[in-house]
Amino acid sequence: MIKALLVRELTYLWRDRGLRNILLFGPLLGILIFYVTYSAQILTVIPTAVVDLDRSSASRDLVTKISQAEYLQIVAQPASAPEAEELIRRGDVLVTVVIPEDFGRHLTLGRQTSVYIGIDGSNMIYSTNATTAALTVAKTVSAEAGVKALMARGLPREQAKSAYQRVTLQEEPWFNPTLNYAYFLVLALILNIWQQCCTLAAATNIISETGRPSWTQFKLAGLSKWTLFVSKSVVHIGVFMLLILPIYGICFGLLKLPLHGSWLLLLLFTLVFAIALHSVGTLASSFARNPVDSTRFGMIIALPSFILSGYGWPLEAMPSFVQSVVKLLPQTWFFQGLNYFTFKDPGWLFARHYFVALGLIAVVCYSGAAVITSRK
Amino acid sequence: MQPVIVANDVVQVVTKKTVLNGISLQVNRGETLGIFGTKGTGKTTLLHILAGLDRFKSGTVEILGYDVRKSDKYKGQLGLVTQEKSLFQELKVAENLDFIATLRGGNRTVLERLVTQLKLQELLAEPVSTLDNGLYQRVALACALLHQPTVLIADELIKDIDLASRHLILLTIRQFLQEGGTLVCGFSNLDYAHQLNRVAWLADGTLNFYSPAELEAEWQRQIREYAGLSGERHD
Repeated sequence: MIKALLVRELTYLWRDRGLRNILLFGPLLGILIFYVTYSAQILTVIPTAVVDLDRSSASRDLVTKISQAEYLQIVAQPASAPEAEELIRRGDVLVTVVIPEDFGRHLTLGRQTSVYIGIDGSNMIYSTNATTAALTVAKTVSAEAGVKALMARGLPREQAKSAYQRVTLQEEPWFNPTLNYAYFLVLALILNIWQQCCTLAAATNIISETGRPSWTQFKLAGLSKWTLFVSKSVVHIGVFMLLILPIYGICFGLLKLPLHGSWLLLLLFTLVFAIALHSVGTLASSFARNPVDSTRFGMIIALPSFILSGYGWPLEAMPSFVQSVVKLLPQTWFFQGLNYFTFKDPGWLFARHYFVALGLIAVVCYSGAAVITSRK
Repeated sequence: MQPVIVANDVVQVVTKKTVLNGISLQVNRGETLGIFGTKGTGKTTLLHILAGLDRFKSGTVEILGYDVRKSDKYKGQLGLVTQEKSLFQELKVAENLDFIATLRGGNRTVLERLVTQLKLQELLAEPVSTLDNGLYQRVALACALLHQPTVLIADELIKDIDLASRHLILLTIRQFLQEGGTLVCGFSNLDYAHQLNRVAWLADGTLNFYSPAELEAEWQRQIREYAGLSGERHD
């Protein structure tokens, strides 16, 4: 009996062309789209305009430094600040540097001088990178100017250098040393597509039987709902896991995304998440009045869950009631844990509370679905 | 004779409308009872309650001595062909037969006999969703008889189907009855009434029992009466 139910559910999933295409091609398409999108891995070319109002050797030196900066690319040298502003406004450049008229003279005299750096803040990704790149140049220039000023007061070069650089700040990003966007985003975005497809599939679990005339056959057979839906759920979760294997294989094997934790731990974590996710979909499908309703419920759960998971915007920055509510969603635990399980090697002890949380969600949701379905 | 189905004072309310208003009936072993009524009178509702599929507001229904609200034990002896297409639409004919045989405990010999009897050999690889009405009803009947039930409930089994399928279905039903089966069927076309022992006419939530000949006479009387009221000619 169980074998017949499993085979029939697999047949159902395979022959439902829409569902099959969503499950098979959705995540794979996600890999292609997101990897191509983030193939540059970091933003290297930030178009920059430099306005040199001073035209001294010091200002020319600064322009050279800007042009040599790793991520800044000088694409225009307008004659005035308003012209540079217009370039930002039109989107031709993202950074504009204005070197004032008396820049060289102030430097020579050891006086403080300021260089204006304008950054297009309308795109946060661009502006964050542009700010970092511009500040790196500014820091170097400022340090050099400081050393020169001390040398002008008679200090030997080495002494001036060590006096100025008495405190050095050494930055070292851990786990993702090059601050690679692809490492941070690609896997999470693909898994987001995967979890959305899985939620939609899970949201049909019960209503796809009870909402169809063939439900009569199960009722007539006197088959226990427990046997039926456990069999269906086993197939669903098995399919979800079969789908994740090529995704992980491509991401960690082919695309070389970082996996510092253990494979086994990551797969177990994904399995527990798949079960919790399936339980949420099953609960939604138990109170849906028809398959269209259940798809709507699935979408309502799946679509915002990634945003709410705290992956893109930290949970701690959300209002406290939102923080509490989103912890009811398995996606929050999964995407919170994902970075630990891939970038770091947190170990089994750390993983325990993620497993417990996801397990609890599964128990509560499956129990709710069982109570509702027992009345049908 | 031993009663197979006994319903007492069954009341069913659907969306605040009383569809069945104190229905009582008894069907004996080997008997054929037809539930007659025009569309929307509640035949399907009554048949589903008699099959123990749907809950009802009040009253009692016993099948083979089991209260349908308390036991599932009668289900092994009950076959049902619904008016709505209730086979597994995603499966092919052979897959439906195999799966339903597994669900209901049918055996291979009976399955093969029904396939031959209802001439389903050519249809086995077809998806049930593509079958026309007559072919579909042949498959549905085969599925209902796979586990060799002693009671068959059929809702509009031969309505709007081709004559070849009708012939095969009626032959199969005849054999089922000859083997001691009991049949309760819902119908809205008097063509089939003469093949039944008794007919219950369902109207306004209540049943009136007739012999097939009496039913025919009553139907004609009512047609004449309403034709007279509307000034139509009726020969």
